[in-house]
Amino acid sequence: MKKIHWIILGVLFVITLGFEFTVLADYDSHWWNAIPAFYAIFGFVCCTAIVYVAKFIAKNIVNRDINYYD
Amino acid sequence: MIEFLTIPGVILITGALLLPFLPEKIRPSAFLIFPLMALFVVFTRPDGYTVTGELLNYELVMMQADSLSRIFGIIFAITAFVAGVYAFHMKELGQQSNALVYAGGALGVTYAGDLLTLVIFWELMAVSSTWLIWARRTKESDGAGMRYLIYHILGGGLLFAGILWHLATTGSLAVETVAQDYSVANVLMLVGVCVNAAVIPLHTWLADAYPKATITGSVFMSAFTTKSAVYVLVRMFPGWEVLIWFGAAMALYGVIYAVICKDIREILAYHIVSQVGFMVCGIGIGTEMALNGATAHAYSHILYKSLLFMGTGAVLYATGTSKMVHLGGLFKKMPYTFGLYMVGALSISGIPLFNGFISKGMTIDAAGYAGNETAMLMLLLASVGTWLSVGLKLPYFTWFDKTENDIEVKKLPVNMYIAMGIAAFACIFYGLFPNTLYIYLPFEVDYEPYTIYHLVEVIQISLLTFLGFWLLKKKMAPELIVALDVDWFYRKAAPATRLVFVKKVDEFFDKVEEGILAIARWLSAKFQNPMVWLNPFTKKGNEASNYSPAMDVVMSFILLSFLIFAIVYFV
Repeated sequence: MKKIHWIILGVLFVITLGFEFTVLADYDSHWWNAIPAFYAIFGFVCCTAIVYVAKFIAKNIVNRDINYYD
Repeated sequence: MIEFLTIPGVILITGALLLPFLPEKIRPSAFLIFPLMALFVVFTRPDGYTVTGELLNYELVMMQADSLSRIFGIIFAITAFVAGVYAFHMKELGQQSNALVYAGGALGVTYAGDLLTLVIFWELMAVSSTWLIWARRTKESDGAGMRYLIYHILGGGLLFAGILWHLATTGSLAVETVAQDYSVANVLMLVGVCVNAAVIPLHTWLADAYPKATITGSVFMSAFTTKSAVYVLVRMFPGWEVLIWFGAAMALYGVIYAVICKDIREILAYHIVSQVGFMVCGIGIGTEMALNGATAHAYSHILYKSLLFMGTGAVLYATGTSKMVHLGGLFKKMPYTFGLYMVGALSISGIPLFNGFISKGMTIDAAGYAGNETAMLMLLLASVGTWLSVGLKLPYFTWFDKTENDIEVKKLPVNMYIAMGIAAFACIFYGLFPNTLYIYLPFEVDYEPYTIYHLVEVIQISLLTFLGFWLLKKKMAPELIVALDVDWFYRKAAPATRLVFVKKVDEFFDKVEEGILAIARWLSAKFQNPMVWLNPFTKKGNEASNYSPAMDVVMSFILLSFLIFAIVYFV
């Protein structure tokens, strides 16, 4: 990833925040709409949680040597 | 008779029977004609069109067309065609014929108006798809194929038992909505269908067999078995609440395993479980919007999942491996495959402008509109995982990660690119023009995917998931492992099962056989000379008394018995 890629993604993120606080400021169909940047937080927290939970399960329960079933 | 031959499923199966009589050179082209013919029939048969017949005094409705069967019929026929193009270079008759029977089975199920017809096509799918696994001809595929077949015989058996029970209690064979009543018949049918829909914990056949099937076979497999089961669930079990939670759990289960797995085709297989979870959840919610969402998602899913399997199949074809640990750094060697794969990956992740966006959002929103925010959040969580493993982890560790990879890369046949191109085009086309799909949905659509809210939601989730992946990608680095799943119970139990059901049974039969032979030996020795014990005056010490009596003695003995019997009877 070059610096320019990060800048593009950052700008895109700022644009979505812009929309969230202007056009969607009064949008309220779920309880979480009240939390600012909920979907961004959700994405990051869930991604981290999935990686760690999967890693935990893999390491402690399900991972075996490739020839386990042979 | 002519009507019977125009049933879409029957067209493909007829094609499969004709293929062996055609010369090898024109077989791949002939293969493509039959899905197109089926597609023509699918488009031209109006709602309410039926083909009926009679079997053993039962009135069968072998074909019944309506909007729901049409949309599944369209996508099944299109996929059979696209997968046929992908397999154009493959000359193996067994695979070609079985692929057609398999597609025919799926189309047959889709149009079946009665449960007997349905179960016949259902079993045809199971048997023909097994061939596509065994055709890989490796030790792993032999075992996986057998487990797959046994699992599907079990599922088909449960479904058939349910159908017979249903027939006995209601007297009806019609394929119609079943009221939410947990009777024996309904539960048997539901569990039978759930085997094919890969509902956890009945999903292990999928993750076990799909990565081991042939390169072209897995493209067919990704489309038909689970989605024909989704069709049957939409048709028969809409609004069954238990499906909401099983569906949401499937969506998460598949996602977690996809992060654990290190084989690119296994990751995709687990993502079938996950994506079908979205559909099953939608079916459980059961509102018109949710059923539309499940149907639309099945349609989109078949397109992008076949594209993803084609992309990973191309990697396997070119490099000879699907293990991530051997891949990486392939971007310079396979840039077009990467591009086409990414269309599928962006689609499955529900990124705007691709077809997953227009159907996944509908299913998730349907959960929200139905007041089930927990299910909605679970599905959103699952979409994070989809983007993480199919959109980021898989392509990163296959095409990037290493700067160089000296693995030898074989040139791909042109037809593979064409097939991937068609599927990629369809993914983008439906993403840009959602109404071209929405008009075929079973209920009227009141849903707009491209709203600012949806765009903000998806872009924020995707961007921050990307950031999370980038920071944690080392945790997902490839390694050579096998991840145990529920199949451990029957795969590890196999020696014990063999001991109880084969070895012990064998030993028992051996013992019984020995016993019977011993009795026979004893009896023949005793009866060799009945005079020895019939005539108490026989001198046992006399050697001559051990000889068998002459025939005349035996005859006179029989005659005497006859005379005594006659006297007793008549006097």
